[in-house]
Amino acid sequence: MSMPAVELEAKTQRKQAKPIEGVKKVFMTGNESVAWAALAAGAEIMYGYPITPQNEIMHYWTRLAPRYGKQFLQTEDEISAGFTTCGGVLAGKRAFTATAGPGNILMQESMSMAEMLRLPTVVIVQQRGGPSTATVIYSQQETTLTCFGGNGEGLRIVYSSSSHQDLFDYTIKAFNTAWKYRFPTFVLGDGYQAKMRESLHIYDPAAKGIKMEKTVPFVGQEGMPGVDRAPAHLRNTFNTEEELLEVITGYVAEYQKIAPEIIEYEVIETADAEIVLVAHGIVARAAWAAVRALRNKGVRAGFFRPITLRPFPAEQLRKAARTAKKLLVAESAQGQLLKLVQEALYGETVPIATYLMPGQGITAEELSDYVMELRSNKTNREGGSR
Amino acid sequence: MENPVKIALAGEGGQGVQSVAGIMVEAANDSGKEALYIPNFGVEQRGGVSVAFCQIGDEKIGSPKFKKADLVIALSDRAVRRTRQYADQNTVYLYDASIKGVEDGLPQEAKKVMAIPALEIAKKELHPRVFNVIIMGAAIEATKIVGMEQAKKAVEKRLGYKFVQNPKLRELNFKALEEGAELVRAQEA
Repeated sequence: MSMPAVELEAKTQRKQAKPIEGVKKVFMTGNESVAWAALAAGAEIMYGYPITPQNEIMHYWTRLAPRYGKQFLQTEDEISAGFTTCGGVLAGKRAFTATAGPGNILMQESMSMAEMLRLPTVVIVQQRGGPSTATVIYSQQETTLTCFGGNGEGLRIVYSSSSHQDLFDYTIKAFNTAWKYRFPTFVLGDGYQAKMRESLHIYDPAAKGIKMEKTVPFVGQEGMPGVDRAPAHLRNTFNTEEELLEVITGYVAEYQKIAPEIIEYEVIETADAEIVLVAHGIVARAAWAAVRALRNKGVRAGFFRPITLRPFPAEQLRKAARTAKKLLVAESAQGQLLKLVQEALYGETVPIATYLMPGQGITAEELSDYVMELRSNKTNREGGSR
Repeated sequence: MENPVKIALAGEGGQGVQSVAGIMVEAANDSGKEALYIPNFGVEQRGGVSVAFCQIGDEKIGSPKFKKADLVIALSDRAVRRTRQYADQNTVYLYDASIKGVEDGLPQEAKKVMAIPALEIAKKELHPRVFNVIIMGAAIEATKIVGMEQAKKAVEKRLGYKFVQNPKLRELNFKALEEGAELVRAQEA
């Protein structure tokens, strides 16, 4: 049955309406800013299953999406939310999902398939405490899971946000990175970012000169495969070891080739630094504030923040580490960023001190106090660890 | 006070600390300051102490939570015990005068400890429902994060739709803000 003309016209208008005109300063939660970013990026459908602290991404999306002719499907669990996101992408839709904690675990199977089929899925992760149910509040304990959670090689792009502006900017960017390079892409936030309110600028990507990558269906294209167009050959099952090796070797080579275009990081005041604080996500804010406080006290502290955790800015970190007397890795996990740092710095001799607080927030004050403690040699372990 | 000003507001679920924290940071944001607010949240929906962490300053705020606050406001006996950890020698500590038996839980080292009869005034002179707005008035007076007019604008923004139906509510809320500020001024004088 066809839709009445008036209704059809209204639907078309909704689809063409811009959610945000130009640039606007707002004050909102991180979850709300993700929903706005997805709308601004032209996302067409969200699939999701509720879990704290991600819920409000779904809530805001379901409230906003119908006004712009966008869709939402609540699935029966996160296994399904991940696979339906893959399905949306296969149909050529700019599709996404959001999750946290145990939900992130359940999505690993589908995201592993997305790696194998090279599907441009986008997942927003708002980390909560782990393992298992643990807390619904906050952590950085899903770093390893989000970067390497599948059975495979971690051929994914992971952006770690540290503010609401980041959540907005990198959610938009995630869609473009995913569709340009066809690797599953993640925005790694956390419960603090999800629930807190702060200011940011939301915008229409066009107003900033950002062009959204074109989306095309992977299946059901017009024409005779092999005659009018190349066949869509989507394969996640292989008969021989050699076949698989060939495919994965090709993917890895491609991933390594594009990595320099994707890698992002922030580095401040490392040239003369006696100690460089290394942190990602929201902890990077504390680290940066600590560096400023330390500089005011005359301590030569520097700052390094990987924005992409996959691919990791290894070369850039090595460069910063070479001139430093010591590194201090701070994170709300028992050494998940630390592993990435150690791998990147293999062969370097700079001592690495640690400040590891699994599942708990880290403040600027405690980091600058700890640096002062390290300098006065009160901490007697190698490099210094907590 | 320090920049950013750090405020911890704590009370029983239902006392309205989260909504008033939300209005307060919105007032600061609208006046051009940087503000950050995060509620504590856990699996309990009822029966817990609710804490709102607010920071207001001139530059982007660092970490969302903090160890020590410039101003702590505790609105129940459990909230007093819970917020003890956020006070040090630089903290102004406000609690409601109706809370009894918490003398041992008050931070002796705090810069200033004040008991204000907000609940009593809410009940006797205004309305129990504006108790939290009195607290907001006290908080802005103690920290000077925003002026009274800006605070009123933020209340109007949040509750304006209710004021349309009943303009007396506007008067009541604005009165509550002013009374709250007066309670702190009286203590400081």
